[in-house]
Order: sequence, then structure tokens, then C-alpha cells
Amino acid sequence: MNIYRIPALALLWAALLASQLAAAEPFLPRDDALVLEILPGKPGDPAAAELRRLRASVAAAPTDIEAAARLARRYFDLAMEQGDPRYVGYAEAVVRPWPEAAGTPAEMLVLHGKLRQYRHDFPKAMADLDLALQADPANFGARAWRAAILMVQADYAGARRECELLAPLATELHAVACTAYVDATTGSARAAYARLSAALVRDGERYPEMQVWIQTRLAEMAWRIGDHASAEWHFRQGIALGFDDNFLLAAYADFMLEQGRAAEVIRLLKTWGRSDTLLLRLALAARQLKLAEGEKYARTLGERFADAALRGEKLHLQEEARYLLELKGDARAALAAASENYRAQREPRDALILIEAALAARDPAAAAPAMQWFESSGFESARLRQAALRLKALKP
Amino acid sequence: MKSKYFVLLAFLFAAAAQAHKPSDSYLALSVDGAAVRGQWDIALRDLEFAIGLDADGNGDITWGELKARRKEVEAYAFSRLNVLSDGKSCALNAADLLVDEHSDGAYAVLRFDAACRASTPARVEIAYSLFFDLDPTHRGLLRFERGGAVQTGVLSPERPRLAFTAGEISRLSQFFDYLREGTWHIWIGFDHILFLLSLLLPSVLILNNREWKAAERFRTTFWDVLKVVTSFTVAHSITLSLAALSVISLPSRLVESTIALSVLLAALNNLRPVVTERRWAVAFAFGLIHGFGFASVLTDLGLPQGSLLLALVGFNLGVELGQLAIVGAFLPLAYALRRGWFYRRLVFTGGSATIALVATIWLTERALDVKLWP
Repeated sequence: MNIYRIPALALLWAALLASQLAAAEPFLPRDDALVLEILPGKPGDPAAAELRRLRASVAAAPTDIEAAARLARRYFDLAMEQGDPRYVGYAEAVVRPWPEAAGTPAEMLVLHGKLRQYRHDFPKAMADLDLALQADPANFGARAWRAAILMVQADYAGARRECELLAPLATELHAVACTAYVDATTGSARAAYARLSAALVRDGERYPEMQVWIQTRLAEMAWRIGDHASAEWHFRQGIALGFDDNFLLAAYADFMLEQGRAAEVIRLLKTWGRSDTLLLRLALAARQLKLAEGEKYARTLGERFADAALRGEKLHLQEEARYLLELKGDARAALAAASENYRAQREPRDALILIEAALAARDPAAAAPAMQWFESSGFESARLRQAALRLKALKP
Repeated sequence: MKSKYFVLLAFLFAAAAQAHKPSDSYLALSVDGAAVRGQWDIALRDLEFAIGLDADGNGDITWGELKARRKEVEAYAFSRLNVLSDGKSCALNAADLLVDEHSDGAYAVLRFDAACRASTPARVEIAYSLFFDLDPTHRGLLRFERGGAVQTGVLSPERPRLAFTAGEISRLSQFFDYLREGTWHIWIGFDHILFLLSLLLPSVLILNNREWKAAERFRTTFWDVLKVVTSFTVAHSITLSLAALSVISLPSRLVESTIALSVLLAALNNLRPVVTERRWAVAFAFGLIHGFGFASVLTDLGLPQGSLLLALVGFNLGVELGQLAIVGAFLPLAYALRRGWFYRRLVFTGGSATIALVATIWLTERALDVKLWP
């Protein structure tokens, strides 16, 4: 180590220690004007006003299923946009009076299914969506969510079947989006990209809410086939739509991190520390730039995983594995988390972290299921291919 | 129709469950005898959602806004928490309101006391319902501390009550606590040590024609010591158990005076031998009264209702260990020195006389309830 860095490191360490000690004790603020918490959502935001209205209508008529479903959907969408699980909890409270059983209206059952899948309870989620389709065979949402869950479980034949059943219920854009999503994961990313971008040009204007999702997917497909300029363009188009979208931000941040554009990641995500997924990206970017905040981000993230462990929940194993591997450098623990994660979720991102963790831990056998998926799915991704090749080259 | 498209918008997040921090509160309770103290950290965001804190609606919660709603926050929270001590509700009294930072933002820190009727309750139960109506994914993360042992638990709508019985709090560590107390008590309980020493001092000697001579064989000495110590142990174990289980109870002044008397008589017996062969019988007889003395210490320590026997055995074994250490230190030394003038004149005669003097002072103090020395 460079000897001149030692005092600087010592100072940093002392500062870190001091800040930890300061945070360790409850305190009595001296200034009434001290801002303790900044609430999500901007004041005067029309979305906040809408939420208040929806809440008031449920309060006024607690048995009104339409009002309850509207509020629950709004909460769920907020959770997705913000990456904030408290909204999922609020949604659960709203749908609780309606049981997950035959006789409950389809819209409510779809909500139950969405909340179940959020908790990674995939079998019960599928059962709820089945009940919804029994109640309303033309229920578009139930079909779409069944396809999505099957994709997460890497059941591509099943997902394709759901897309076929979805087609008569949906617009052309939705139908194309569904099949393109499956095709792009199973070796036909180029064709899927072409079809989906054409459909977007044709119909995109009519469905502005769909555009964020499609732009994100197109960006991912372009990235996957190595067309980084198009990927960048789609990510920027998605951001320019002006919707908050946790998933788009996470994917764009990953893209930029891979290209060494950490400073841009920090600019993009600075106000998004509430979401664990985005906090992980912030920490990774700060680490690349060797910023002082990096330690704070990583520590906060570690605390959130520890809190989740106290709750006895494991909904975030993919992020935890990345945190352990890329921030803590603990390959064995990362591999354990990635393996456990892969048992429930088998998306390409889940396979990637499992293979990378196995590589770092020099334990190729542990990544066997992900390798098997990679070789049989035909999934195109330079990063995954390289990792897989290196893992194969590793002598067990 | 709009919602239909939102569904597909969310399509991509299926599985979504990207992680983030759901709503938790952190509840710490510490039980110390009858006193129960608590600290409850509740997220400001959750309080805002439940009762509203942001008075000026500007999206920020300030310390001033939190303070202004203090009464409402406390009323809301404490009406959703019930601490039961041996089945009876404790009154929860709010103490300080502070602020702390957790990994997902600022929390109000509510410190409180629980006034419970049962002292050293066998069972403490926590019934919790905070935010469950608004957010079934909310969890109360409980840290329960009692006698240095910490247990944790998660309170959820499916499991809104958690109970801790005294016996569950690491029986082993509790056992060792009492063991340590027992050992400690014999070490600092000079009356017991002096009584034992008075009985042990002559064991390396043999009375021959009214004159003390050195014992010739270690075996004789060893058996003598063993008989004395065992009798003392058996006797005080009996009365310790009977008293601790409240079968017999004697006034402490009588007990303490008799213990002093036992020390005096044992010391005098060395100076003017009356009982020589059957010192074990003396050890047994007076051991009975020493047992009552140990029992009063054990009662002062507080006996856990759930694990009375464990505490009793632990304490008793501790007393024996302490005793054994004294015997182990005394016996080899005394045996080695037994032939010399130093042992016979100074240790044996001088020691016994000093013990007799000290015991006389104790006896006077305890019997007459006066203070002779500071």
C-alpha cells in the first residue's frame, strides 16, 4: 500500500466510526425546524390528490368492491413505480375483506394473485389467477400475470401458451409485447426486437402507459444483442416519458455500470435511495468512483438485509447476492444467496448472479441449474456467455 | 379501461419482488424484577399514513410537527400494545420521545415504563396490533431482555402475541447465575467459613490424653474432613430446600444468632474439647441452622417461579463448590504444617480463640440487635 494513503485511510475510518456511533443512539433534536423525514411524492402532486380521493371513497363505502379494487391497484402500481413495499402492504389491507375463493369477483382475485406473486408465493398466485379466469374467462390481467409468472419460473412453453390465449383478449401491441418478451429470452432477440419496435411505432401513441414497459424491454433486447447505441436510445426514451419507474431505472443503471458510467448512475439515482434495488446500484456506482458515500450506501443496504432477516423474509435474495458478491466480496455467502434465489426465481438476471457467484467461489457445480438453463434457452447475452465460458474452463 | 394497461405495464415486474424495506417497528422490552422498561421505534412514514404528522402538508416531517402530535402518537401506539405480566395487563406510561434513524428513514422513539402488579413474573406476554389493520405486512420486531438473557421474536397479524416464561430464558445461564451466587455467598459469608474452619482445624491433629498431637496418617485426616464436610452439606441442603420452598420458615434474627452461636461453640470446642470423635454430628446439627441462613440469601435474590428447583440446585451446588475450594486450600496446608509450633499454637489455638471472639461479637450484635463495631 502506498504509505501516503495511510493517514487518509485512518481519517476516513475515524469519520466512519464517528458517524456510526452518532447514528447508534436515539437523540433529542434541539431544533423544531429540523426535517426528520421527507415523504415520498411531491406536495401538490396530482397523483397524491388522486390517492387521497381513492382512499376517501373506500373509507366512505368499505363494501364497494370497485372502489377498493381501484385503490388497491393504485397502491400496487405505486409499489412498482417506487420500489417501495409499504404500498404492497397497504394494498393487502384493502383487498383483505374479499377472500381468495370462488365467488369473489375476478378483479379482486387478480389483485390477490399479484400480491401473492409479490411475496414469491407463485403456486397460490397462479391459483388465484385461475379462479379469476373461471369467474371471467376474458380477464386480460389474469392472463398477462400468468404469463409473467411463468416467465419468472423459466417455463417458456407455458408462457408462450398464455400469450396465445392472451391474443384474442388484447390489442395487437399487447399480444406482440407478450410473445416478443418470450422470444427475446429464448434465442430470437433480434427478431423479437424488430417486431416489438415496429409495433411500438405503429401503435405506441395510443397506449402511453405501455411505452415505459416496452422501451425498457427494447433497451434490454438491444443491449443483449450488443447494439448499445439503440439500448441507450430506448432507455432515454423511457426516462423521457416522465413516469417514475423503478425497474426502468434499475435496468438503465445496470447498463451504465457495465459501461463504466458510474457518475451518470449517481446523477440518475441520487434521490432513489428508498428503493433497495436502486440503492444497490447507487452503492455500486459510488464504489466504482471511490466516493465516500459508497460506504454509507453499502452499510444502509446491509442494514436493510439484516432487517429483512429479522422479519424472516427472503424477498430480495438476488439483490442480496449482488451486494454480497460485488460490495462485500464474500463469494461463498453470495453463492448461497444466489442458489436459494434461483430455486424461486429463474430469470436471466437470476442466472447471471448465480453463475458469477459460482465463478468467484470457484464452485462450478453450484451453478449447474443456471448453466443448464443458459445452454438450453439460447439466451443471448455477451456478459452471460463470457461468465459461462469462464465457469466451464474452471477445473472443479 | 385505463387500468387494463397498467396491468401490462406492470407485467415486467412480475416476480417483481425486488426488495425494499417493508414496514417494521422495533420493540425492545427489558424486565428487571417487577420493573418493565420499553423502547419502541416506529417509522415516521407509518405514523404519517396512520394519523398524519405533516401538518403543513409540505411533504416534510419536522421535529416540531412530530412534537405537536406527541399525545396522538402515544395514544395511537400504546392502545395497540398490551404487556401482560402473569396474565394481568400492565399500565404503559410514556416517558421520553426521541428520534432515531433506521435503514429506511427516521423513526419516533417512544420510551415507556410498564407498571405491572406481579413482581418477578413467571410469564410476560406481549399482544401487539400496531398497523395490522392498515398494512398486514407490517411486523413488530421484538427484543425481550430479562436477567441479561435476550430473546427475539416477530409479531405479525398471524402471530400477534408472544409470551416469554422465565424458565425459557436460557435455563443453563440461569442455572449458572445461581451457581455463581451460591459460591459467592459462601466466600463472602464469613460466619459459614469460620464455622467450617473451626471444625476443620482439629482434623489434622489427634487428641491424646487431653493434648493435641499431629495426626500420623493422611487417611485418618481425610476421612475426618470428609465426614465433617459431608454432614454439614447434607444438613444445610435439607433446611435450605425446606426454607426456599416455604415449608419451614424461621425468624431471621433467631437464625442469624444461632449461626453465630454455632461458630462460637465450634471454636470453644477446640480450646476446651467436649466433642472430639463425633464432630461430624456437630457439623450436621448446626448445618441445619446454616441452611436457613443460605435460604434467606436465595429469597433476597428472587426465586424464579418457573424454575425454582433449578435455582435451588444451582445455588446449593455453588455453595458446595465454594466450600470445596476452602477445604482444598486449607487441608494440604494444614497437613503440611501440623507438626510445628506455628500450627498448633498460632493457627489452631490462636485461630480458634480469635474465631471465638469474633463469634461472640456477632452473637451479641445479632441477638441484641446492636452494633458493636462499624
